[in-house]
Amino acid sequence: MEEINLSAQSEQKTHQVLFTGNAKDYFGIWIVNILLSIVTLGIYSAWATVRTKQYFYGHTSIDGHRFNYLATPMQILKGRMIAFAIFALYAIVTTYSPAMALVFFVIWAAAIPWLINQSLRFNLRMTSHRNVRFGFKGGYLDALTHFVLLPIVGALTLYIAMPWVMKKIDTYIHNNIEYGNKALRVELSAGRYYGAVLRCLIVVIGFGVISAIITGVMGSFGDPGSLGVAMVFISLGFNFLAISLLAGIYQSKVRNHIFANAQLEDVATFESKLDTVEYSLLLATNALAIIFSLGLAFPWTKVRKAKMLAAATTVTLSENAEQVMEVYRESQSSLAEEAANVFDVDISLT
Amino acid sequence: MKIFGTLYPAGSSKAVTCSASVFDSKLMLNHEDGEQKSYDFASAILGEPILGQSQEITFSDGSRFLPADVKFRWPTERKRLKLVEKLEQNLFAVLGAIVLSPILIYGIMFKVVPAFAVQTYDLVPDSVVQEMGEQSMYAIEQAVLEPSTLSAQEQQTVTQLWDDSLQKLSLSRDQFKLSFYQSDFFGANAFALPHGQIVVTDDLVKSMQDHPLALQAVLLHEIGHVEKQHSIRMAAQAAAGAIAFAMIFGDLEGFAEVVLGTGSTILQQRFSQDMEKEADEYALQHMKQHGIDPKEFAKALEIIVEQAGIELENDEEGAWSKYLSTHPSIKSRIDYANAF
Repeated sequence: MEEINLSAQSEQKTHQVLFTGNAKDYFGIWIVNILLSIVTLGIYSAWATVRTKQYFYGHTSIDGHRFNYLATPMQILKGRMIAFAIFALYAIVTTYSPAMALVFFVIWAAAIPWLINQSLRFNLRMTSHRNVRFGFKGGYLDALTHFVLLPIVGALTLYIAMPWVMKKIDTYIHNNIEYGNKALRVELSAGRYYGAVLRCLIVVIGFGVISAIITGVMGSFGDPGSLGVAMVFISLGFNFLAISLLAGIYQSKVRNHIFANAQLEDVATFESKLDTVEYSLLLATNALAIIFSLGLAFPWTKVRKAKMLAAATTVTLSENAEQVMEVYRESQSSLAEEAANVFDVDISLT
Repeated sequence: MKIFGTLYPAGSSKAVTCSASVFDSKLMLNHEDGEQKSYDFASAILGEPILGQSQEITFSDGSRFLPADVKFRWPTERKRLKLVEKLEQNLFAVLGAIVLSPILIYGIMFKVVPAFAVQTYDLVPDSVVQEMGEQSMYAIEQAVLEPSTLSAQEQQTVTQLWDDSLQKLSLSRDQFKLSFYQSDFFGANAFALPHGQIVVTDDLVKSMQDHPLALQAVLLHEIGHVEKQHSIRMAAQAAAGAIAFAMIFGDLEGFAEVVLGTGSTILQQRFSQDMEKEADEYALQHMKQHGIDPKEFAKALEIIVEQAGIELENDEEGAWSKYLSTHPSIKSRIDYANAF
């Protein structure tokens, strides 16, 4: 491995991923999006989606070339209208007939792998860099295995196998990503996932011990009644900190691991040096800011996170970066992506 | 005027530094290596103009040209592109949006959606109501009800009160049905289903053995729920609410999540509190009309509260819990009945 790197070094260049957006500009876009979406009874939200995505894509660049979001508002609006019609039908049918809710649930469960694939495919197909689109080639059965069957296996082993399942899922997603005619390859280790989860467990135990001590100390100060309210707030704040820390640990460790072990054949390798403590603090302060500003801090938190993620990431490009060929595929419908949105199926790429 | 930038030819990841000039409907691109190419400007598609980003242009062959200057905007007749970007940067528009958005969200959630729900519940056919009631009853029965242990005589006493109530209200006996069940889950309680079935629990009947008129007050309250179509209204409200939220707010991030999460809960609870008041009013009106002392209603509430082991003093938890509870403060309902 090292020899290849040495001999190829002259043709390789490492680039810092740049994010050039700022909270003030995005705030204007965000709040106008909200107002216009409400005033137009939701129709403008298709335009709002395009503007938001393009704001973040267009402000993210590698080697001086920005990303682009290619979906058009009309494309999104069509998918959204169909998804919304299905949702309306679902809302009405399930309110008036609990038995039909069961039928809906079965159809829905069978459609989930398809929805996840289509949603990933749409989002990647609508992303381009240097006028070459990304793609996703995962199939229904693979998605069924990874998103439905394996998690069941994980649960049956009392979650002992869950980190391994998470590794399998991440491998499935990333190994099916394409950039033009080049495929992304990841080689992930279950050990790293267990390591990340183990750190999370240590934090959980640590927090458990500390809160037990605090409860004990506070309890010895008599009058539990007046302490009750204070305790509720302290434990809420505590849980909150713990959750941010857990998400921060897991996400940063896994992201760094995936980036270190991914390569776009002959074109690019990646590195992520996301600091666990910094990232956890960012997640915790972001959540607090959103709550205490009644949501108004949302644009600031989103920009802040994008900045930290970009700053932690570098991409090493080979001279082949100029030779990636576009692969033309059938046009994409946004239906699955919108259905996933309206029914709250959340799949996000790290 | 020369526009410097990068051309991304269609079909590959190549990038070529270029300068462009617009002549009428043509755009001339001069590559850095001396090559020249002209594109039709009128048929090209303009990218979204976004603050801090230059505006891309895509030609009909799929090539894209991105000017270097982040402030650059192509000349266009399309007003939408210009207007939105102006709004986003206008201080007054932004401040206005901050103030107006929550007001509009409030208006839609608390005024428009309930009004819309009221319009829809008349449209629900009787067969659907019947079906909805039967399915709900089946689910509740499976989950938390057991066969009644009341003696035939105990049931007979209640049935007489029931028949008497229906007669007083001039309601047909075919449309209503009284059922007895034992339930640890509900304790001493009663509930109504949309198709006219009313369930009273064994504990309720036993606890009101010495106060038949109080039990009758409970029956009247439940009949009130059916007569005022509360279940249907609740369902219509929930469905209309879910649809409106998905349509208008489904895509709003952040703020919407905080505001709407609590908003829809409060909305549901408030709606439910209003319906309890309406059913109370229905019962009290008819009691007065037929010479039953409204204080019997207060008595019934006191017995239910006592059975549930709630202390009345603790019921006045203040403004916050009032918004979060499905039933209005029991104390206020008792006071209201006593003063009726």
